[in-house]
Amino acid sequence: MEGRPLDDTALVERARNGDVNAYEALVQQYQELAFRVAYQVTGNAADAEDAAQEAFVNAYYALARFRAGAPFRPWLLRIVANEARNRRAAAGRRMALADRAKAAQTSGETALSPEAAAEADEFRATLVNSLRRLRDDDRLILAYRLFFDLSEAEMAEALKCPKGTVKSRLSRALGRLRAVLPADLRLPAAAGEGNG
Amino acid sequence: MADPIRLGDADLERALRDLGRRYPYPPTPNLAATVRTRIVVRPIAPVRPFALWRDPRRLALVAAVLLVLAGAAALINPATRDAIAHFFHVRGVIVTRAPSPLPSLSPATPLDLGRLTTLEEAQRSVGFTIVVPPELGAPDAVYVASGPPGGEVALAYKPRPGIPVVRETGLGVLVTEFRGDLVPGFITKEVGPGTSLEETSVNGDPGWWIAGQPHIIVVRTSPGEGWPETLRLASNTLVWEHGGVTYRIESGLSKADAMRLAAGLP
Repeated sequence: MEGRPLDDTALVERARNGDVNAYEALVQQYQELAFRVAYQVTGNAADAEDAAQEAFVNAYYALARFRAGAPFRPWLLRIVANEARNRRAAAGRRMALADRAKAAQTSGETALSPEAAAEADEFRATLVNSLRRLRDDDRLILAYRLFFDLSEAEMAEALKCPKGTVKSRLSRALGRLRAVLPADLRLPAAAGEGNG
Repeated sequence: MADPIRLGDADLERALRDLGRRYPYPPTPNLAATVRTRIVVRPIAPVRPFALWRDPRRLALVAAVLLVLAGAAALINPATRDAIAHFFHVRGVIVTRAPSPLPSLSPATPLDLGRLTTLEEAQRSVGFTIVVPPELGAPDAVYVASGPPGGEVALAYKPRPGIPVVRETGLGVLVTEFRGDLVPGFITKEVGPGTSLEETSVNGDPGWWIAGQPHIIVVRTSPGEGWPETLRLASNTLVWEHGGVTYRIESGLSKADAMRLAAGLP
């Protein structure tokens, strides 16, 4: 993130003392990540927005219990994921099904030939659908690492698990993803570059 | 593994990273403004001496707003979520529709319009041209506030024949002007079901006519200075934006009369 006027620790400290502007800056900074993490859990935009908003409000009032100097991002994500899980449990699976169909469409990829683009799109759609068949915890850990680039320490904090278990959890989640992938899945030509 | 997948672990991880960069997420909603409104009305902890708490009437208002928000929060579930609309139609103003009724409050909250001054001095301290509604003439009082970048001016008019007193302000008409293009969420308005919200056009510019039950208005003060927001009830309001300046006419007038006043403004 470029051009941050203040780092998280300073903003959190000010927000703890009731500085709404400081907290708003934190919301600005993390609303996209929070929304996307929530979306990974809920599978629909309305619930994800609701969960992210509720998480930010709850996190604000929980700041009093936040350990000074601790990283804010994984702490926030834990609250986001909990809110999202609650909503998903309530919403049932119907919405997620509708969303699956939508997930098959991805944004344009002009550098590829139409055939290769279609192939790459189909490959990604297959991945999205397979991910959605995983348990929330598995999908979250894969998303944290591979989509959102969290460090192992951040993942441990976000998932509330010992740091030493993150690697094995990740590898088990990857294994379970592999198990639900179609047996005949191949890497599309374009994505297979660098595949010696 | 015995299955015939040719995808190695590294391939799969690379494919997932690639997917992460193109994942078909819906657009991220602007949560900051909504979150801000929700936390402003309920401070994080007993904060330092705070104008809000020194005035018992303000305290009553805050308590009432809290009740409304608590009610709204209870109603906000995925099904009723759509009932809450956010409009970013006029820059500088965010209107939030609450599904539950807003409270009826007895005494008016003290207005916090800024520093009392003259029109000439106000013009020197704001970064836009102040326009006075010709039909109303010289205001009875002029205030400037340095809250938003570019400043804000408030023109206050006492009640007079044809211009009824507004219970919420004690005034006849209140006109405010500020650079809405510089502060997207300077004013947040919380509108209950008893208040009508109508999209309208003022001199060809998009605007809103908010009428009926008084609505709650939260005005942001200077960013960075940590001033508390001003919270109060507002009456019938016509709000629109022209040339980067957001105009607001608050009164007890009908829409037609408010539009007539606005016709003399840009």
